[in-house]
Amino acid sequence: MSIQFQNVSKAFVQNGQGAARIIQALNPLSMEIRDGEFFSIIGPSGCGKSTLLNLLAGLETSDSGNVTVDNVPVEGPSPNRAVVFQEAGLMPWMTVSRNVEYGLKLQGLSRDERVHRAEKYLKMVHLSKYANAMPHQLSGGMKQRVSIARALALEPKVLLMDEPFSALDAQTRDVLHDEVQRIWQETNTTIVFVTHNIREAVYLSDRVMIMTAPPGSIKRIVPVPFAHPRAKSSSDLSYFTAQLHNQIKEEVDKVAARELDADWKQDAEGLAVAAEGTDYASGI
Amino acid sequence: MNQTFKIILVKVGFGCVLLALWQAVASARFMPAHLFPGPGDVLKSLMDIARDGTLWTSIRLSMGRMLVGYSISLLGGVAVGVLAARSWLFKETVGSLIMALQSIPSICWLPFALIWIGIDQRAVLAVVILGALFSIAIATESAIRNIPPIYQKVGRVLGARGFVFSRDILFFAALPELIGGLKIGWTFAWRSLMAAELLRADQMGVARIIETGRSYNEIAMMMAGMIVILAVGLTVDLVVFGTLERRIRRRWGLEK
Repeated sequence: MSIQFQNVSKAFVQNGQGAARIIQALNPLSMEIRDGEFFSIIGPSGCGKSTLLNLLAGLETSDSGNVTVDNVPVEGPSPNRAVVFQEAGLMPWMTVSRNVEYGLKLQGLSRDERVHRAEKYLKMVHLSKYANAMPHQLSGGMKQRVSIARALALEPKVLLMDEPFSALDAQTRDVLHDEVQRIWQETNTTIVFVTHNIREAVYLSDRVMIMTAPPGSIKRIVPVPFAHPRAKSSSDLSYFTAQLHNQIKEEVDKVAARELDADWKQDAEGLAVAAEGTDYASGI
Repeated sequence: MNQTFKIILVKVGFGCVLLALWQAVASARFMPAHLFPGPGDVLKSLMDIARDGTLWTSIRLSMGRMLVGYSISLLGGVAVGVLAARSWLFKETVGSLIMALQSIPSICWLPFALIWIGIDQRAVLAVVILGALFSIAIATESAIRNIPPIYQKVGRVLGARGFVFSRDILFFAALPELIGGLKIGWTFAWRSLMAAELLRADQMGVARIIETGRSYNEIAMMMAGMIVILAVGLTVDLVVFGTLERRIRRRWGLEK
């Protein structure tokens, strides 16, 4: 099972004042994601990382090239490619269990099978107790757990995660990192993970893809040379993170130079000089 | 003291003050008693029309018209609203037309209805339908447009599309806002019906109680008619729509 992007590009039409502008989100790009891999995509905002994920999810179609999973072209969404979004997006009128079951119902599974699978995956995210609760009774982190269970219940070949933890507080995020790492090892699912959090990407991934400032293209694909499971406090990991950080900063600066006033750079550099001598890695 | 209890107490107290004021003005005899009757006289008149059956027949007839007229507006309004939310072309054409028509009080259509449809029940129904249809259509369109885009994405990746998506997700996601629109539609329909009944001497109905009172120069009966209109309107608003709205909002977690 491998995922291939071949010369995939994507542009959007933006309707602003006057004439519509065409925004090139992705320059033609090719890459491969391996079977069972934990693959992260990071880059500055607007670099097209979410677009890349949406193309793979089948929520958007590419302008050129093609995306294939096991040599089968992606044509629209499929339960083989489940998605976890930044927002949990649980349906507030259904119980937690019904939310997890809904996708299975659409696939025509029997009621018993559905309930059984919902139980299994709610257990995997440690929320069995809340099967009959309503979503509004859960915290943000619990909602995101349900959203992960809902995706896993489809028993997909690929799990796509689009900044799944960026709306959560730091403690909850840390706990969920470990959960995702464990689930990935238990299920052997390929995970494609979009984030702007470098530490998160390094901690979880086999390989991290760094994207350039828009229009997005591949800057580098970096293997993370540490065995799973990893320890968050590891200094190797921190050092590695800091190195990646410098590479991404180049791209972030390019975006800032386009968007901000001319004096931003001096102010930012002033701060960097003031911070020199402190441990850069630990500050991330 | 319990907050709810406090609110009820204040409301009941205010009601009593109003009644006392009314009685005081009536007793002061600024006008002859038959021109400005007190609450006692109005209550007596109310009991009279209840006893001779006028009250119940009127309510039954008016509510019958409301049920038929409102049901038609509901089906038509929701259908038009869904189309306007789904189709850009439909929204810019029919949608704009409906926005414009919404500014015309539906009672203004009564003279047309009388000529085009005929001097009978159906002309009144047409006014009721027009009273609610446009506002329900506009509310439906807005409720659908305000659905958070995440449901669209979640629905698609889970495999819900077309009719299944509309039935399972779109409808429920729009429901909390939609129910508010349906309530406003009901209020518009009720007002339109009252206006139409006032103008149409051939039909019995709640608003006719006022007109009948006027023709006998019985102001107590006219006031009784006003109270009936208020009571029926408020009952449907609070009991039917209020309960429905509260239940939905509670289940959705929009209020405790």
